[in-house]
Amino acid sequence: MDMEKQAGAVIEVNNLTKVFKDFWRRPKVRAVDGLNLDIKKGEIFGLLGPNGSGKSTTIKILLGLLHATSGSVTVLGRSPRDVATKARIGYLPEESYLYNYLTPYETLNFYGSLFGLDGRVRRERIDQLLEMTGLKHAAGRSVGEFSKGMARRVGLAQALINDPELVILDEPTSGLDPVGCRQVKDLMITLAKRGKTIILSSHLLADVEDVCDRIAILYNGSIRAQGGVNQLLEKQESVRLTMPSLPPEVMRKVLELIRKEVGKEPQVDHPSMNLEQFFLEVVEKANRMASQQSGAAPTEMMADYLKK
Amino acid sequence: MAGLTALEAIRQPICLLLTAGCVVSIAAVPLTIMHLFGEDGKQVRDSAFAIHFVFGLFMAGHAAGTLLSGEIKKGTASAVLSKPVSRELFFLSKFAGIAAVILVFSVGATIATLLSERVAEKFYYTQALNGYVMDSQTGMMLFFSPFLACICAGIINYRFKRPFTSSAFWMIIIFLLIVLFVSGFFERNGQWRPYSLRLDSRIFAVSILVSLALVVLSAVAITISTRFDIMPTMILCSVIFMFGLMTDYILGRHVAESYVCGFFYTVLPNWQNFWVADALSGGGHVPWIYVLHAGLYAVVYTVGVLCLGMLSFRHTEVK
Repeated sequence: MDMEKQAGAVIEVNNLTKVFKDFWRRPKVRAVDGLNLDIKKGEIFGLLGPNGSGKSTTIKILLGLLHATSGSVTVLGRSPRDVATKARIGYLPEESYLYNYLTPYETLNFYGSLFGLDGRVRRERIDQLLEMTGLKHAAGRSVGEFSKGMARRVGLAQALINDPELVILDEPTSGLDPVGCRQVKDLMITLAKRGKTIILSSHLLADVEDVCDRIAILYNGSIRAQGGVNQLLEKQESVRLTMPSLPPEVMRKVLELIRKEVGKEPQVDHPSMNLEQFFLEVVEKANRMASQQSGAAPTEMMADYLKK
Repeated sequence: MAGLTALEAIRQPICLLLTAGCVVSIAAVPLTIMHLFGEDGKQVRDSAFAIHFVFGLFMAGHAAGTLLSGEIKKGTASAVLSKPVSRELFFLSKFAGIAAVILVFSVGATIATLLSERVAEKFYYTQALNGYVMDSQTGMMLFFSPFLACICAGIINYRFKRPFTSSAFWMIIIFLLIVLFVSGFFERNGQWRPYSLRLDSRIFAVSILVSLALVVLSAVAITISTRFDIMPTMILCSVIFMFGLMTDYILGRHVAESYVCGFFYTVLPNWQNFWVADALSGGGHVPWIYVLHAGLYAVVYTVGVLCLGMLSFRHTEVK
């Protein structure tokens, strides 16, 4: 973790508890139970956990949408219910909650106006975001007609229209094709390099492993494991060597030496390309050949204002 | 945000159905009424005001239910409230959007009422004709205007890819204005005449009062929808509507004797203040000073109800 990441806590959660009540105000579900979190600037923090573990509830408390039953929460140094603080936050909800009757352009224009963005800046950003999410050709269609993946792209674009300091992404890759997933992951990495803080809630473990600096694993509303991804996943008792293919005789000698010195049988295999890399290569080739399509168009571009 | 709420409301098919249904029902009144009760146009006027009120009640209840409780349930409210938007602003914007749609709907209903009253059978005297005559050409134009509006909206949707429902909603209002204008060129018996817009202008005051009642009802509906889903909201609105119509009879008589009756008499909206159609009977009219007083009552009541709604929404958990 670099110096910038250690600079200050963007989110501080102390002993947070959330109990949902029924119509008669009787406790119904303890969704979050004594949660402690400390998320630093420039960090990509992963919130992991099975369904109903309290991830989305925690996020909604961080956004001031739900009220904590007990405990304290500060976001960017202020109460999560502070309206001005929300101007510095970008949020992609678990489902792409969009107005079905609006087009992507109207949707982004609406969200841009909520941040008080000047008309010219808003139009520039909308164009760049539609280009980035591959929805420029579908900008005039109602969002209600979109597939889940395309709606997700609109959701992602609205979360970034204000160039936020803190980006909260709840299941950002859900419904996206592998190209879209890779784009979202690259986007998160780029944003974090610019000093943005990102909270990623997901149960797609590969996504979290690919991009997160630190993770917390929730179960039944409380944290069961927390720390750096490498620190948590590293097996200190094993070592992996990767080297060019060896002639059979050399290989035999190496294995024999290891058996003799370590006293255990070593495991030997060939490193393979992962399926995501393979898929992206195939799609990229096909994309170069294709002339027309109706869905979201894969694009390498990233909105200019998000790179600065 | 209020603009978006209004846009969302008029893009919902139910809004178009209620507006078209209201206009067609008002247009059909002169065709179905067989008795004049001793006064030309009275039956048509009273029925048209009642249709305006009832369709408006459903529109206000439904719009409030879908646009606030529906948004909370659907999740769009959480997406908007995660932006720098206060709950108070969100709530008031929803009300403003719904009230705007209700007022546009009321413009349509008022034009339909004016035309329908003109269409109604009235005693007509010329050298050639002496008797009761219905203005059938205006009646036909009025009756078919929502259908023509829908055909035009279909063409606009096909040609320009504009949403059908909102186009049809606006086209209905435009067609009603056209019918209002064109009808000025006809005599009751269908003959051309120099332009003269002979309408019963007394209708305006009553329509304004019905529209004010619908705005109050929108405030009540949106306040209820901070805590309840669309169906309970509609049911509670209907109950409040019914009680509001009867407060004078049920509670008004006992106000002096009972504090409880006095409390409910004050708290429940008194729709009788806005239902003054009978004042037009026998050539009477509603004084504008009364409209002003009723308007003040509507403003004070609406502000009170909205304050309650804001307080309720401030503590509503947006899941």
